Amino acid sequence: MYWLTKEQLPLLVQKLAEEYKIFGPRHDRVSGEVIFDHLPDLSELDLQAAIPYNPPKFILFPHYEEILKYRYQPETKKVRIEQLNLLEPKALIGLRSCDLTGLLCLDRFFLDQEYVDEFYLAHRKKLFIVSNTCIRPFPQCFCVCTDSGPAAREGFDLDLTFTGRDYLVEAGSKKGQALVEELNLVEADSESLNLKKQIIDDSVSSFDRFALENKAWISRATNRLTTGFIKPEVWEYIGNQCFECGACSFVCPTCSCFNIEDANLASGETSRLRTWDSCSFEGYTKMAGDHNPRKPVEDRRNKRFFCKLSYSQSKKYLRPGCVGCGRCARVCPGDIGLPNVVTYIRREITGESGE
Amino acid sequence: MPYFRGVCNFCGTGCGHLLRVEGNRVRGVYPLSGHPLSRGRLCVRGWHIHELLQTEDRISQPLIKDGSSFKPVSYEEALDYVVERVKKLPGRQVAVLGSPRSSNEENYLLGKFARAILKTNNLSLSSDAGQEESARVLLEGCGWPAMTGTLAELRQADFILVVGGDLTKQNPIIASEIHHAHRAGTFLATISPRKTQMARLSQLHLRPKPGTIFYVLQGLGRVLVEEKAIDDDYLSTFTANSQTFLEELKQIEVEKIVELTGISREQMTELARKLKESNSACAFYPTGVQSLDRRTMAALFNLFLLAGKIGRRGSGVNPVTGISNLLGSYDLGLSPVFLPGYASVEDELAWERLENFWQTKLDRWSGKNVDTCLSEGEDIKALFVVDHDEEIIRHVNRIRQLDLIVYFGAYENPFASLAQVIFPRTSYVEEDGTYTNSERRVQLVLKRIEPPAGVRPLWKTLTNLARALGHDWNYDSVENIMSEISQLVPYYRSLTYEKLKARLGLKWPADDLHPEGTDCLLVEEASRRFRFVQVNGQEKKLAGEPEVQKDFPFKLVVGRSNYFWHQNSVMKRTFIPKREYNALLLLYPRGFVEISKEDASRLGLREKQVVRIVAESAEVRLAARISGDILPGMLYIPYFIDEMIPEFLHRQVADLEKNEEFFLPVRLEKVV
Repeated sequence: MYWLTKEQLPLLVQKLAEEYKIFGPRHDRVSGEVIFDHLPDLSELDLQAAIPYNPPKFILFPHYEEILKYRYQPETKKVRIEQLNLLEPKALIGLRSCDLTGLLCLDRFFLDQEYVDEFYLAHRKKLFIVSNTCIRPFPQCFCVCTDSGPAAREGFDLDLTFTGRDYLVEAGSKKGQALVEELNLVEADSESLNLKKQIIDDSVSSFDRFALENKAWISRATNRLTTGFIKPEVWEYIGNQCFECGACSFVCPTCSCFNIEDANLASGETSRLRTWDSCSFEGYTKMAGDHNPRKPVEDRRNKRFFCKLSYSQSKKYLRPGCVGCGRCARVCPGDIGLPNVVTYIRREITGESGE
Repeated sequence: MPYFRGVCNFCGTGCGHLLRVEGNRVRGVYPLSGHPLSRGRLCVRGWHIHELLQTEDRISQPLIKDGSSFKPVSYEEALDYVVERVKKLPGRQVAVLGSPRSSNEENYLLGKFARAILKTNNLSLSSDAGQEESARVLLEGCGWPAMTGTLAELRQADFILVVGGDLTKQNPIIASEIHHAHRAGTFLATISPRKTQMARLSQLHLRPKPGTIFYVLQGLGRVLVEEKAIDDDYLSTFTANSQTFLEELKQIEVEKIVELTGISREQMTELARKLKESNSACAFYPTGVQSLDRRTMAALFNLFLLAGKIGRRGSGVNPVTGISNLLGSYDLGLSPVFLPGYASVEDELAWERLENFWQTKLDRWSGKNVDTCLSEGEDIKALFVVDHDEEIIRHVNRIRQLDLIVYFGAYENPFASLAQVIFPRTSYVEEDGTYTNSERRVQLVLKRIEPPAGVRPLWKTLTNLARALGHDWNYDSVENIMSEISQLVPYYRSLTYEKLKARLGLKWPADDLHPEGTDCLLVEEASRRFRFVQVNGQEKKLAGEPEVQKDFPFKLVVGRSNYFWHQNSVMKRTFIPKREYNALLLLYPRGFVEISKEDASRLGLREKQVVRIVAESAEVRLAARISGDILPGMLYIPYFIDEMIPEFLHRQVADLEKNEEFFLPVRLEKVV
């Protein structure tokens, strides 16, 4: 563990910018929104900013991405395929631990299974991750219920913890260690180690005071979802509120479903596109011959929460599919983000009334 | 690849979003959490606007018809072609159709181009069902032609009434706000023959027979009086003609209304009592893609006036526009009945003011909307169309007879093939412009990407045309046009780009009294007393002929919003929304008619069985779709143009699409 003074922070960012394209949280002046964004102007980086409204997912798995280009030549009846070079070193600075956990879930989906997704891999390969401990939770947070915060435990190159003035820095990789040494950071003593632990403990115990928007009984809900003992009426109730917009999937740091489209370009080439998709859409599971295993909206909702929380899914990711960032609750037009759904499940278990 | 703040351009909600721009491409979209209305939400359309903005189906250079195809030409050639032909045409032979998706600046200029240069008063907008009537009703009632309440304060209302339409599909984020209010304790009622999602979420759903919402609202007024739920002080202080209205209400017999509408007295009483108990109450109805008839809008306004809910903070009668800048386009006079700022075309002084302001002579004859121009008579010889949305295509045979059709569009469109001249234009992220949403919020959208090489914005092309026709137009930016608007239109008086750049919109009236805009209409600030809106005897009559109902026992209604995301010309250029739309199309490739479970079992119909729908003048075969969402005695056809719109609906389409309360008496026969 090392100390990074407030004055050294810009040096760290500068150093990274020499090699990487810098991403991090910034404020939109007019709306006040915190956006995780590419920062051509490094001074916009704000590590004290609240959790960004968008997860960093788009950097590795863009909303809309051209993954291939090809041209069919009718004369020769040949197809010429153009490989796209996606490799671009990127540094994500100030990642919150929920979002880092989300990224690790995406890794398991795209890289750790039989098939390795080369496009995701290309984005992922040259990534430098600087995580940032949440010394105080934000109103929508419930990462303590999903074991994904408030501090990162793995997956970072450097991990920062703000101590009031300076940052405690932990190196999580060789790359991170090298940078720490290059910057000549002062090594922290064992007392500082205790300080970090204290800061994290304080953060956890302040959830009751600050993180008031959502309460999630994740473990009970996981149990219930896994055993399938949730009454159909609960799903019907949830289905009735769904606007079928797909937002819950789009804002989820761990949602990885995508759609593939071939778009013909004016140039005569065809562009193969990968775009975000969502299980809330009817067309998502529609099969040939008018079959749809999940036609009613409540079946689609059921599937989403099964995917996020059931035990069998968790085995695949080695953790729940929810990282407790609370974004789906804020973005949902029907007020059926994951925390509310868990509440409905809890009500069913405890027999509490609706209010 | 930074995210840039902007405003969604699909429906009249005007949600805030962030567009991710990479190179010169819009590669993604994300909701803006700080937006005062959308608060970090988008609907399925909004979440895919970048797919539309990616499309390569652009019109990228001016074209002139050459035999059966088009040849690319320079702007100058295209301008010359138009100038030469237009010069000879009297204004009465020209009609101009604008797009409610264009910015305020471009639609103002289009209106000015029509009136001041083409000398025509035949100008209107596509997809504006009910907007004109809504503005007239509200002007008559309270002198304010749009939403009297505000969406940003909707959550504070303790009574919300949604009349007609399918808000959850049409303006999902407004519906979400209502949903949110409802979950927090607001009483929510819906009046609609169909069981929409909004109806399912409501505490009280009144399901009147098709065409009878007007009577339900009248009945509610009568019940309010019976319940002694009217505020005499409010009526005597703030309204001008309450005595006459109350006299008329006395004539109404609730029992007759119960019989006519199928709504029980108890239900009406419950709704009336909740309205009475509320401190703040809002009503919502759709305009644009689908709307109500005049009498129903008037009755709704009158009901809320009677309850003392007009001009109070947190309350209001709120028309919701289906398309992004429908309200703004009306504000700036793209209408045969309103000059910019809602001055009436019957007001001689307003014409004089406009002549002085535009420094040109104007013709006073009364214009028509383009639909009427094309369906009546042979006067029209030339047509100017901006971004056609598959609405006037039903007049295709008439359109083919015209001498000149000029089309301005950003995207390829089948309509363009009818034109002699085609001008490309920029898309909404390729030029600055302001857009006015349903709650009168004027929002500035800044240019984020460069247009395809050489493509000019509409305002530039119009300016060039004006100059080529000998008029001294010298706008050099859209900001220029906005400063002209702010001098002419009182509601827009204090709007400047500088101000709008620093804010997430300002709600008109923005004038000397309210330089920062106005949240809602307040009775204390109203320029005159409110009036109950007159509904004449003819309008009060029951729609549909009673004697034909024996042969045609079903009431056929059409809906445009449920499976149809506004103009297909727009949604077809996306991937995910198109897929969702196609999912239904694949199930019912030749269209469907919804029939209630009760009628289906009585007639022994099964799902997808082909039936024949017979109207007085035509018939059509469709697959039956058995639904719990509609009433017995009612049939419902989603109105999909081309793919699913049956030919026979085309005859009635003008009425059917404008007014949700209109129905067609039909009978249903099994095909053996």
